[in-house]
Amino acid sequence: MTMNPNQDTPKETSGKTEAGRRRKDSGVVLMDHEYDGIQEFDQRLPNWWLITLYGAIVFAVGYWFFYFQSNVGESDVEKLDRQLAVIQEKNLEATLAMLDNDNLWEMSEDPAMVAAGRETYTAVCVACHGAELEGGVGFNLADAEWVHPQDAIGVYKVIEEGIAGSGMAAWGGVLGPKRVAEVTAYVLSYHEPDAIP
Amino acid sequence: MSQTSVQTIEYDDRTVRRFLYATILFGIVGMAVGVLIAFQLNFWQMNGKFLEYLTFGALKAEGIQYLTFSRLRPLHTNAAIFAFVGNMMFAGIYYSLQRLCKVRLASDFLSGLHFWGWQAIIVAAAITLPAGFTRGKEYAELIWPINIAVAFIWIVFAVNFFWTLAKRNERSIYVAIWFYIATIITVAMLYIVNHLSIPTGILHSYPIFGGVQDALVQWWYGHNAVAFFLTTPILGIMYYFVPKAARRPVYSYRLSVIHFWSLVFIYIWAGPHHLLNTALPAWLQALGMIFSLMLWAPSWGGMLNGLLTLRGAWHRLRTDPVLKFFAAGVTFYGMATFEGPLLSIKSVNGLAHYSGWIIGHVHSGTLGWNGFMAAGMIYWLVPRLWRKDSMPAKVHDEQTSCAGLHSMALANMHFWLGLVGILLYIGAMWVSGVTQGLMLNAVDGTVLAYPDFVETLNAIRAPMLFRAIGGTFYLLGFFLLAYNILRTIWGSRVVNGRTEVTVDHTRPQSFAGSLVNAPVTYTSLLIIFACLWLFGGGLWMLVGGFGTVGTVVLAIVHFEVSGARWKDWYAKLLQNSAGFTALTFLSVAIGGAVQIVPTVTVERARNIEGRIQVPYTPLELAGRDLYVSNGCYTCHSQMIRTMVPDVLRYGPSPEQGYSRLGESIYDFPFQWGSRRIGPDLAREGGPIVEGNQLMRSGLRNNEWHYLHLMDPRSTSPGSNMPAYPWLAEQEIDLDQLFRRLRVQRDVLGVPYDPDWGKDQVAELVEIQSLEIARDLREKSIFVKPESEMVAIIAYLQKLGVYEETNQPRTELVQR
Repeated sequence: MTMNPNQDTPKETSGKTEAGRRRKDSGVVLMDHEYDGIQEFDQRLPNWWLITLYGAIVFAVGYWFFYFQSNVGESDVEKLDRQLAVIQEKNLEATLAMLDNDNLWEMSEDPAMVAAGRETYTAVCVACHGAELEGGVGFNLADAEWVHPQDAIGVYKVIEEGIAGSGMAAWGGVLGPKRVAEVTAYVLSYHEPDAIP
Repeated sequence: MSQTSVQTIEYDDRTVRRFLYATILFGIVGMAVGVLIAFQLNFWQMNGKFLEYLTFGALKAEGIQYLTFSRLRPLHTNAAIFAFVGNMMFAGIYYSLQRLCKVRLASDFLSGLHFWGWQAIIVAAAITLPAGFTRGKEYAELIWPINIAVAFIWIVFAVNFFWTLAKRNERSIYVAIWFYIATIITVAMLYIVNHLSIPTGILHSYPIFGGVQDALVQWWYGHNAVAFFLTTPILGIMYYFVPKAARRPVYSYRLSVIHFWSLVFIYIWAGPHHLLNTALPAWLQALGMIFSLMLWAPSWGGMLNGLLTLRGAWHRLRTDPVLKFFAAGVTFYGMATFEGPLLSIKSVNGLAHYSGWIIGHVHSGTLGWNGFMAAGMIYWLVPRLWRKDSMPAKVHDEQTSCAGLHSMALANMHFWLGLVGILLYIGAMWVSGVTQGLMLNAVDGTVLAYPDFVETLNAIRAPMLFRAIGGTFYLLGFFLLAYNILRTIWGSRVVNGRTEVTVDHTRPQSFAGSLVNAPVTYTSLLIIFACLWLFGGGLWMLVGGFGTVGTVVLAIVHFEVSGARWKDWYAKLLQNSAGFTALTFLSVAIGGAVQIVPTVTVERARNIEGRIQVPYTPLELAGRDLYVSNGCYTCHSQMIRTMVPDVLRYGPSPEQGYSRLGESIYDFPFQWGSRRIGPDLAREGGPIVEGNQLMRSGLRNNEWHYLHLMDPRSTSPGSNMPAYPWLAEQEIDLDQLFRRLRVQRDVLGVPYDPDWGKDQVAELVEIQSLEIARDLREKSIFVKPESEMVAIIAYLQKLGVYEETNQPRTELVQR
C-alpha cells in the first residue's frame, strides 16, 4: 500500500509504530528522537534545491575570479569612465557644431582641454611655432599681434583650414574637430579674453 | 549507569503571557506610526499641519517637530523591529525553550528583569526618538545610555536562556534551539560593535567609525539585524509551532542541519549589498553580491522545511486560522528571500536601490513573515495560556489548533484583511520603485530624461497612496487580533503548563570533546584555505588553492576509510550546548572579520581615492548634527554612485564624477543614506563666497535654502518634504558644540587646530553665522544668527567640499 503524503494518516497521534510502518511504505526515515512531541522525518534534499545551492556557489567562485583574479572583468569605475567619456565626446561634438568665440574662451579655461591641446601642439605645431609659442618659421602666437585671425573662432578656422599660400597647412582633416578645438584652447590660454573678441 | 529521579515541573508561563501582551500593544503602536508616516509621504500636512485643521485654527502649526516624518520613521522601524518582533520573539522562545528542555526557566528574577527592562527601553526609545535624540544610523538610532541598557538586558536574556539550557532534562537540543542560540550570540556581537561610540554628553555620542568604515560596519549590522533578529528567531519559532499546529513531523532533519549552518555562515557576509555601486571598495561589493546569491538556497531550505511539514495537514488550512497564518507567513519568507538575492545583483540594485522597491521588500518580510508568524503563534498560544469554563476541553480538535478562541471568524477576517493589505502594499511598492528607478536612471542621449526630481516623486503618488491603504488594512486586521484576544482572555484564568520529567543526573560529554574532532578540524581548515585562496596574493593564493582541494580530498578519504559518519558526530555535538554555541559563534564571526578588519585597520590616507574632505567649521558641524538629529538621512542620500545617471544628476559636472571615499572621511556617522525620497545632497555645497571669511554658496543660495526649509513647496512645487520652521526659532548650544568638536579632534582624529579653545570656536561660529545672516538680510530675510536655521544652511552649503590630494594636479598654464 502506498501512502499519499498529502493526506492525514487515519490516527495521527498513534506514535512511532505507525510512523515506523510509514517509513517502510514510502522509504522515508523518521528520526528516532522526539522533542515535546515533535518528530522529524529525514527526507532527502530535493535535487532542484541542491542544484540551486551548488549553482550559486559555482557562480560566486566564477564571478570572483572573473573580476578579481583574471583581470578580464571591467571594474565599475572603468565602465563608468568609458560611458562618461562617450557622453562627453557627444557633448563636445554638439558644442563644436555650434562653436563660437564664447565657448572657445571657456575651453581655454578648462585645464583638461588645455593640457590635451598642449599635447597635440607639442606633437605637430612646435616645429614652426616654438615650444613657448614664440614663433619661428611660423608667427609668434603668444604676443599681442594678430596677423590672420581676428577672433577666437578665427584661430580655430586657421588651424582647421590652414592659410592658402603660406606654410600653414589645413589640420582639420588630420586632427579632427576635437583636437583642433583643444589646440585652439591651448593657444588662447596664453591670452586674455578681452585682448580680442 | 545513570541515576534518575522523577519530578513534576510547572513552566513559567507568566513571562510568556507578559510578552504576549507587550507584543500586541507595541504591534499596534509600531504599525500605527507606520500608517501615519505612509500618509505623510503623500500629504505633507500630516507632519503637523493637520492639527491646525482639526482644531479649527486654534493651534497654528506649519509642522510639529515631534511629528515629522524624519523623526517618526526611526520610531516606526525601531518599534516594529525591537518592540513588536522583539517581544513576540521572547514570548515564543520562552514558551518553546521550556518545553523543548523540559525544565522551568532558570530564574524568575531574570525573566522579570528581562521583561520590564525591555519595556523600559521601548518607552525610552519612544520618548527620545521623536525628541530628536538619535545616533543617526538606521535601526541603531537609540542614544548611548539606551544602548547600554539594551546590551545589559540582552545579556540578562542570554544568561537566563543558557542557564535554562544547561539545566535541561533533554539530552540533545532541537533545531529551534539552534536558531535561538545563533540569534543570541550574533545579535550581541553585531549590536556591540555597531554601537561603539564616544559620548559627548548624556544624550549624544559620535560613533568611533567614520565614512566608509562606518558605512561598512553599519550595514554589516543593519543587514544582519534583519538576519538574526527578524529571521533566525522566527525560524526557530517556526520549527516549534508549525509542527505543533500541524501535528506532523518536521519535513527533513538533514535539511535543517544543512540550511542552519549555511544560513548562519553565509548571512554575515552579505551586508555590503546595501552599498552596491557606491564608493565602497569593489571587492567588498562583490562579496556582498555573491554571498547574497549563495544565501538563496539556505533561506529556501527554511521555507521548504516549514511548508512541507504541512504535508498531510493542508486540508486543515480551510478551518484553522493558525495554519493559514503559518502557511502564508512561510510563503512570504520564501518570496522575500528570493527577492533579496535578486535585489543584490548589482545591475538590479542600480535600479532598485534608494527606491520604494526596497521598502516593499522589507515589508514583505516584516508584515508577511514576522507579522503573520506572530499572529499564528498568538492565536495558538492564547487558548493554551488562558482558560475559561466555556472553552472546549480540547484546544486541538479536528478543525483547528486553537479551539477556545473567542471567534474563529474574526481570526479568519484578520487573515484576509492582512493578506490583502500586504499584497496591496508590496504591489504598490514594486510599481513605485520600478517607476521612479527607471525615471531617475533614464538617460536620453547625453542628458537626463527627467532632470526634475520632483517629477519622479509625483509619478509615484498613486502607488504611495495604495501603500498607505494597504498598511491601513493590515493595521485593521491587527486590531481584530487585539479584540479577539482580549475577548478570549476576558473572564478567564491563567494556566501554567506542567509536565512530569525523568531527571537524568549523569554528566554530558566534555566541551572540548565536542570541538576537537575530525569534522570541525576539516571544516576549519577548509575555511582558512579558501580565504587564503580568494584573498591572498601570489604564494598564499597557491597555498590556499592546493590546501582547499587537499583538505576536501583528505576529508573524503578519511571518512570513507574510517567509516565515521558526520551524523554520529553531529548527534554528539547536539548534546553539548556550549560546544554548539562556540561553533556557531565561529561561523558567524568569520564573515565580519574578513570584511571589516581590513577596512578598519587600513590607513585612512590609503582609502580616500585622491580626494579628502575639507573638515567642517564649528558652525557647519553644528548644522551637521542638526541634520542627523532631524533625520534628514531618512530621505536624502549623500552618495553619488558609480552610475552615469547618478553622475549626471548630482555630479554636478562629469569631471567631479562619483563620490570618492575621501569625501566623507570625517563624517561621524556617515550619511550615505538608504532611500531617496528627496534628491541626493552629496555635492550641494560650494566654494567660499568672495568677500567672506567662511560663508560658502553652492548649487543654491542661502535665500533658497531658507525659504525651502521654511516652506519646501515655495521653492519646489509638488515636494512632499515637511516644513522645518522651528529651525529659525531654536538656537544652537555653544558649550555642547565645543564638547562635540573636542571629541572629534582629540578622539576621532579630525584635523582641527589643537589650540582651539571655547573662545576661538565661539568666534568662528560668530563670524560665519553673521556672514550668513547678513547675506539673508540683504534679501529682506531676518533670521537670528545663532539660530539652528543658520547652522543647517552653513552645513548644506559645505556639502561635498573636498581637496584633491596626491594626484598630479593638472598643471595650470601661465596666463
